[in-house]
Amino acid sequence: MKKPVSTTKGVPATQELSKVKTYITGLDEVLRGGLPEGRTTLVSGGPGCGKSILGLEFVYRGALNGEPGVFITFEESAAAVRNNARTLGWDLEKLEKEGRIFLMEGRISPRAILSGDFDLMGLMAIIEGQAKAMGARRVVLDSLDMILRLYNNFAREREELYSIYEWLYGKCLTSLITVKIIGESGVSTQYSFLEFMSDCVILLDQRMLDQVATRRLRVVKYRGSGFGRNEYPCAITGDGFHLIPLSGMTLNTAALGRKFSTGYPAMDKILGGGFSYGSSIIISGTTGTGKTTLACSTMLAACQRGERVLYINFEESEQAMLENMLSPGIDLRPMVKAGLFRIIPGMPESMGAEEHLLRFMLIIDEFKPNHLVVDAISSTRRMGSTQAAYEYLVRLGGSCKEKGISCFYINQTESSHDMYDISGMGVSSFTDAIILLRFFDTGDEVRRQLLVLKSRGTKHSSRYYEMTITDQGFKLKPFRIVPGTFRSGPSEEKGGAL
Amino acid sequence: MSQPVEKTGKRKGDGQDNRYRLRLFLADNEPNSRLARQNLDRFCETYLKDSYEVEVVDVFQDFRSAIEYRVLVTPALMLVEPRGEQMLFGNLSDTGKLLKTLGIKGARV
Repeated sequence: MKKPVSTTKGVPATQELSKVKTYITGLDEVLRGGLPEGRTTLVSGGPGCGKSILGLEFVYRGALNGEPGVFITFEESAAAVRNNARTLGWDLEKLEKEGRIFLMEGRISPRAILSGDFDLMGLMAIIEGQAKAMGARRVVLDSLDMILRLYNNFAREREELYSIYEWLYGKCLTSLITVKIIGESGVSTQYSFLEFMSDCVILLDQRMLDQVATRRLRVVKYRGSGFGRNEYPCAITGDGFHLIPLSGMTLNTAALGRKFSTGYPAMDKILGGGFSYGSSIIISGTTGTGKTTLACSTMLAACQRGERVLYINFEESEQAMLENMLSPGIDLRPMVKAGLFRIIPGMPESMGAEEHLLRFMLIIDEFKPNHLVVDAISSTRRMGSTQAAYEYLVRLGGSCKEKGISCFYINQTESSHDMYDISGMGVSSFTDAIILLRFFDTGDEVRRQLLVLKSRGTKHSSRYYEMTITDQGFKLKPFRIVPGTFRSGPSEEKGGAL
Repeated sequence: MSQPVEKTGKRKGDGQDNRYRLRLFLADNEPNSRLARQNLDRFCETYLKDSYEVEVVDVFQDFRSAIEYRVLVTPALMLVEPRGEQMLFGNLSDTGKLLKTLGIKGARV
């Protein structure tokens, strides 16, 4: 390892800082390449915010990529660490057997008796010996504060921490130390000096937003390197720690793709040729106006062309939805069977917006749909705050747009007159088309109206159409009210076809 | 673990009555380690007479023993007999603690 420790502190000004990849989704991007090589990074945060997992993943992913590592846990038992890893699908035992990970429990028995001053040289001897034996450069000391409590003397604790830092630095080990911080401010009062000593400081935080837990990660400091300075939403899902990179998000920069048919020539005509691939479409209306029917019939047509559809359903179960669609004659079951139509049910309350977003993005990456339907965006509010839901939609939409996936957002509105409500949580600015569905009360009956409120880049119709839902999909015809009377003409049910 | 263990500190009394078997983990010649060794020598001579045996392990020479006995804190004294691997951390400057842990009563500190 070529590491000139020439300067007293910090980075040699003339030399580019070399970095060690964490291989953690999104984190290397924020750290502009990874953790500082041969230096110590501090990860702090309150209980349950994912410090241990972040540290473990650093060692685990390193080991998978041919960089062995040492993980010493001062709080949890080694068995608990292995168990936690297993829930994320990581087989630590295998890597341990292969000599790629060394996991050790550093808890001091409560039976231990103290007599006089001591130091942590045993720990250092173990790290040094083990790192040399297995060629490890990555070291994680998880909850180091636990062992330091033995001192019961803060000045002494601090002194020992200094010598550990110094020692690690001298050994050119890329280390990650986690400590618990107590207190709301995010800055540990007791261990704040660690932030000055560390070359890189990462702060993790878990907070409640309208009763939904959300995780955040922030790089507080990175000596000698640039870094993403935002607070990044993150989640622990599936196979580990994920950061959502939102910096690269651009709105509506991609040109719209070519058009695709809704499967209904009349609808295509109203839209000025159909919808565009990669566009975002809002279908808005009060309950029962036919939003899901319109979306599903368009998606059925897509599946019939061999395209894949991902349907995120916050409203009803897969079974209920498939059965309900049979009544207007939309049979999606063969498409589900053929693997073209996939329904992901989700309770918005069950996870935070980040977890939802990540889960869906992972599914999108795996399933590679041509179209995405979110039914309904109005229920995403229940994921937390309106702000969180809005961010969620912007990111999901942006990500789909980049991939050329068209997005249908179904929006259930309270009233059919409030335009802000219709356009859906203020996301209309990044949508390409808005379809409005509503009931029109003629005095003796209620009829459905369809209006294309907006369709970017097309010569769409701007008049109301009457939409009739039959047992074979829907039908459209220009909506007319018989002149001279307030009463309308006969509706589709009584009269002829379009 | 049969690593080369530094046994310079090992002594045995004349008799076979080694009631106290101790293992002292040190870190090279660090101040606390040096002190612990001195303190233990003095302690053994004073209180244990000929009935003890001490094995000294330098964790930097034998890190595998440190792993085996989970010695992260040094100096550390393991009371193999009679206390069944009870650990005592520190430079052993507190003689009273040592006496108490070894169960020696009536001795004057």
